[in-house]
Amino acid sequence: MVVLREGMCPGLDEDLVRDLRAAGIKTVEDVVSSDIEELAQRCAVSYKALFAIRRVLLAQHAAFPVSGADLYEELLSSTAILSTGNPSLDALLDSGLYTGEITELSGGPGSGKSQVCFGVSVHISHRLKQSVIFIDTTGGLAAGRLLQMLRAETSNAEEQMEALQRIHVYRAFDVFSLLDCLHGLRAGRLRQALGGGSVKAVIVDSVSAVISPLLGGKQNEGMSLMMQVAGVLKTLAKDFNVASLVTNHVTRSGGGELQPGLGASWAPVPRTRILLERAEGAADVGHSSVRSATLIKSSRRPCLIKEEFDLRWWSRSGGEEASSGKREREETDSP
Amino acid sequence: MQRTLSSLSLSPSVKIKLVAAGFQFTSDLLPLKPLQLSKEASLSQLEALEVLQTVRREEGGDEGGGGGGLASLTALELLQKEEELKSIVTFSSQLDAALGGGLPVGKTTEICGAPGVGKTQLCLQLAVDVQVPQCFGGIGGQVLYIDTEGSFLLQRVVDIAAAVVQHCSLLVEDDEQRVAMTTFTVETILANMFLVRCHDYVELLAELHLLPDFLSEHPKVRLLVIDSVAFPFRQHFDEMSRRTRLLNGLAQQLIAMATGHDMAVLMTNQMTTRLQGGQSQQVPALGESWGHAPTIRILLHWAGSRRLAAIFKSPDHMGSTVQYQITSEGFRDVDQSEQPPSKRPRTHTDQSAASRGDASL
Repeated sequence: MVVLREGMCPGLDEDLVRDLRAAGIKTVEDVVSSDIEELAQRCAVSYKALFAIRRVLLAQHAAFPVSGADLYEELLSSTAILSTGNPSLDALLDSGLYTGEITELSGGPGSGKSQVCFGVSVHISHRLKQSVIFIDTTGGLAAGRLLQMLRAETSNAEEQMEALQRIHVYRAFDVFSLLDCLHGLRAGRLRQALGGGSVKAVIVDSVSAVISPLLGGKQNEGMSLMMQVAGVLKTLAKDFNVASLVTNHVTRSGGGELQPGLGASWAPVPRTRILLERAEGAADVGHSSVRSATLIKSSRRPCLIKEEFDLRWWSRSGGEEASSGKREREETDSP
Repeated sequence: MQRTLSSLSLSPSVKIKLVAAGFQFTSDLLPLKPLQLSKEASLSQLEALEVLQTVRREEGGDEGGGGGGLASLTALELLQKEEELKSIVTFSSQLDAALGGGLPVGKTTEICGAPGVGKTQLCLQLAVDVQVPQCFGGIGGQVLYIDTEGSFLLQRVVDIAAAVVQHCSLLVEDDEQRVAMTTFTVETILANMFLVRCHDYVELLAELHLLPDFLSEHPKVRLLVIDSVAFPFRQHFDEMSRRTRLLNGLAQQLIAMATGHDMAVLMTNQMTTRLQGGQSQQVPALGESWGHAPTIRILLHWAGSRRLAAIFKSPDHMGSTVQYQITSEGFRDVDQSEQPPSKRPRTHTDQSAASRGDASL
């Protein structure tokens, strides 16, 4: 519903807007869907003028169809696949995070979602030399941890500092700040604030922390705000060709199984969903860092395949790369 | 893509009136004056002014390129800021080492454990430790202690404070420290502790709502202790989903305050039993979604006659378990010489004992 205002198109002046409003035409939709002849008679305006105005308004506000071939061309030329740095996780994601899409990581407390986010941002910033935007809603981001992971990648202090400078951190602790931040990024700060570097990933850790207090009970705004966050993230990912990674909490379904939080409305939003859990065999050892990742939604790979990996992958020292790669790759198919 | 009005932080009644008047996007409101808006949307003048200010601030922030909205830091700047923020020592060097220097400032920490294991003792110890002057390696800050269980014992605080003062006076080396010791006494320690007693969850939520004003009047507060956050939320709740929502909202408020005011937030939690497949297990109370709320979680538990502290959620350190003891002077390390001689390395003993005494979490 776009309200009619003077100056929207040539020929639409204040008097005409007033006349149209008197006739009950307040929005662009009303102009487009009403009978021009009858309207011309009621408002005492020329038919030609109204017809011209309607054509301009349609051109301004209608969507344009795009052919499939053009869409495919665009996809091939602009999509990039960002490796997460961990071969097991890459195998699950069909070689990495795709730009233009939202990928979701869900898991219980302590399952390693934030650690994976840190590892991914360090890998993209250092190896791929691209900028990363990290929106932290839980306060769990510690730059010391990022430095720890970088130290394992390179011992050159200058490279470490450069990589740290490519990671931009925003802190938003409620949904309105998150929306302000995302809209600001979309409106142009993405280009302005970075001055030179190109952003390839936007990571939000976690999106459920700011949305779950709003859902349920007598509150009626929660769903709407959740879908607005989804909308802005998707537009951001599509328009700027960035890969979007979000984290989510888990709840127990009726049967006692773990499922990602935020309900059935959020489920179609991410293109790919991964559930992280503590690996089963390691339950006896008190503090194990092995996690198992299950692919619960994907448009590229069969669902419910599992991979196990060690959270310490991103802080291993460079020398062990070859051997630890072989150790971490364990594939178990779902029963 | 335009920004809808419902994504702005306005009161719901105002939003309903704006939508009823036909406004949907922020760009619809930009060319309007407050008088026009209040007539068209039947809002009061004040409400119309507030709406336009919010809208202008959003648009102005976007065009100004980072001036209006949220400021961003690069990870490098964040690292420099973190290095300036110190941690609060716990007087147990092993726990401090496991936590990376002590209780981190700017983050929320949760301590859970069975009754009697030492949660309140650790809280009281930290409430005194945060006041250690900066020349001794402390932070020299004040503390706000919110007591919901009534377990705050003044005599115990006096004992702990006296021990800390004595410890510091033995460390005095130069003039600066000598001067600091004159203002670091049991009386001043007690004077820098603000105590609030909350009897139910409504009082707790109200207190937290009023906290930003309190903190702006007392900028030296560096620690907020809530002992315990579980107690008021485990009674009188018919609807569990409402409790989860309130707790999630509470968690976000606390982390916003911790980061905004450079303050450490410490909460204690109780334990509950979870039955799973015929086996019972002790897990922290308040449900699974609460587990996401604190940044760092420490579990205090018994292994035979020993007290162990296990860090099982931390963003920058791997989980580990250390042993501690509660003495008349407060929370301390276990004396090394008292350990029975053992050929096995110490961490192995702790882990196997932890897994024997308490099922994994």
